[in-house]
Amino acid sequence: MSKKRMFLRMITASLLRRRSRMLIALLSIGIGATILAGLVTIYVDVPRQMGAQFRSYGANMVLLPEEGRELNSETLREALGAVPETELVGAAPYRYIRLDMTSRQQSFTAAGTDFGEITKTSPYFSVEGRYPENPREVLVGREIAETIGVKVGSDMELTWQPTVLAGESTPEESRVPGALLSGSAEGFGTGIVYVTAQLDENGAIASVTVNAETQTPEYGGLVAEDEAYLAQFTGKTLPLAPGDTDALTGATVTSEAVVNALNSARKASEDAKPKTLSFSVSGILTTGGEEEGYVFMSLADMENMTGSDHLDVAELSVSAGAEQLEAYAEKITAASDAVRARLVKRVAKSEASVLEKLTALVFLVTLVVLLLTMICVSTTMMAVVSERRREIGLRKALGASDQSIRAEFLGEGLFLGLLGGVMGAILGFVFAQVVSVNVFGSSITFQPLLLPAAVIVSMAIAALSCLAPIRRAVSIDPAIVLKGE
Amino acid sequence: MSLLELKNVSKIYGDLKALDNVSLHVDQGEWVAIMGPSGSGKSTMMNIIGCMDKPTMGEVLLDGVDISKESSKKLTDIRRDKIGLIFQQFHMVNYLTAVENIMVSQYYHSMPDEKEALEALERVGLRERARHLPSQLSGGEQQRVCVARALINHPELILADEPTGNLDEANENIVLDLFAQLHKEGTTLIVVTHDPEVADAAQRTIVLEHGKVAREVINENFGKETKA
Repeated sequence: MSKKRMFLRMITASLLRRRSRMLIALLSIGIGATILAGLVTIYVDVPRQMGAQFRSYGANMVLLPEEGRELNSETLREALGAVPETELVGAAPYRYIRLDMTSRQQSFTAAGTDFGEITKTSPYFSVEGRYPENPREVLVGREIAETIGVKVGSDMELTWQPTVLAGESTPEESRVPGALLSGSAEGFGTGIVYVTAQLDENGAIASVTVNAETQTPEYGGLVAEDEAYLAQFTGKTLPLAPGDTDALTGATVTSEAVVNALNSARKASEDAKPKTLSFSVSGILTTGGEEEGYVFMSLADMENMTGSDHLDVAELSVSAGAEQLEAYAEKITAASDAVRARLVKRVAKSEASVLEKLTALVFLVTLVVLLLTMICVSTTMMAVVSERRREIGLRKALGASDQSIRAEFLGEGLFLGLLGGVMGAILGFVFAQVVSVNVFGSSITFQPLLLPAAVIVSMAIAALSCLAPIRRAVSIDPAIVLKGE
Repeated sequence: MSLLELKNVSKIYGDLKALDNVSLHVDQGEWVAIMGPSGSGKSTMMNIIGCMDKPTMGEVLLDGVDISKESSKKLTDIRRDKIGLIFQQFHMVNYLTAVENIMVSQYYHSMPDEKEALEALERVGLRERARHLPSQLSGGEQQRVCVARALINHPELILADEPTGNLDEANENIVLDLFAQLHKEGTTLIVVTHDPEVADAAQRTIVLEHGKVAREVINENFGKETKA
């Protein structure tokens, strides 16, 4: 048998056959390594975890339309092209309008949005019931639900009053008899024909005036002046079907444009009318924030009510650090001339500062755990040396040099470190996994590098911890074995 | 030819003269017993002969080398190479088997050789107990393992400290028989004891009192079958 094998046999036998005391040393190294490996694993994984965690506090970027430009689903999609799909957690579009609930004489803000995206950008939204899935379903903020007394499954009638612009006929006026409608349509040679129709109290046409200045004066232009042509509209109701009226001879295209303009004027007036739709409440929303004062509906329902796919804002949740986020915002603003991106500073900044504090905390805890482990192992090894005084004396009496004694104890320490390190790497991963699942709610992947790292660190700690005990072991007088105690 | 020679050796602890100007010699192949009441300086002499302590004054020649002024590192080497130790408390490494305990001695001396270690156990009649831990061996068996360990590296001198102090009579006789065999083979034996029966087994008994050699007794009956 070689000396090396005998050496290994001795140190392993010491650990395996002596158990109790060495088990304590092994445990302290193992537990130390477990905590360290766990912390490091969590720490390595934490930026990702933190990102995900912060994403759950809401969006960290908003997209707004540029001055005078339109934000809609199309321009939004273009703008989102600037952010890699893997980094984009969610992008929730919002449009806000005022809606009336006629039965209660209440008015509140309604938000049109994409519920699939909301669950990603605002995971903290808590819904009693469920998110709307079908057309004509709404999600009602808790505050509103309590004020007006609706529950999941209730029906509610909502009315949209279009905004009245100065100089236009008000929707109210357009509904009453005698309203004035105006519209336009493309006539001959891309010229626009403008019409104004005065309605009587029954909603039938009382008179029609045409502006056809863009048309050829001796043909189309004549429709504005031909009394007989214009008179045929009187008494008819809009919309006009083909064949309801005759075209002016020589001005077929312009005549058609007049009819089209009248029909579009009628449609515009219809669209501009308040629209009342009935919705069923699919869920009550609790957020702890101002969202509780809103009613949420799908963008499709909102477009149906208002006739437009306009968006006010889009909230983005992007999985990126503060700097990267800034870069994405600039990229989006640069890439799209209709949209500009802004960071939600509060979220982005606190994410960075929490990470920083966490780094410091992990560092500190690591240091403390290292120190505690060393103290524990050192104390245990010191006790082991005391317990084995006679054995050490015997070894020296048998001719062991100080060097051999050092090598044996260091060997035992390193062996302990090896076992503790392997134990620590495995248990540490389990520990990290448990913490991750319980605290962050997601699992982590095993870092293959963790095993050698944990083993090396444990062995180093064990070796360091053994220095003082080894010094004591070396100082033991071999003569103690002679005095029969 | 003398293997060990003490010349005017004194060991002084403060005011206490543990050994006071002691001179003695032990020949190659001789079997000597050292006797004396406790406090007579037996242990001190044992430590000095066993290369575990140095005298305050005087010379100690072991195999012609003065070991009284060597460094403790050198003393360790000499002890390992020339002396086989047997203790009252047996002293085995309690987590190693009988054969492994013998191999520890080989390990520090030169090379562990399991076959040779097993032969040594065979010699003390414990071949079949080779894989037992000390806790599984009786006191007598443990001491026999220690005898096997002491002779495994073929030492010039076997130094035994109260080797039978913790043994019953049957085991004491087994150990003394082993000593007799070793003596026949030419091994030099120094046995420190307070047991007159053990001392009687030796060729010569040196009696210490108050750190001095009080008297030397030659055992006239040595070699005769007295135990029959």
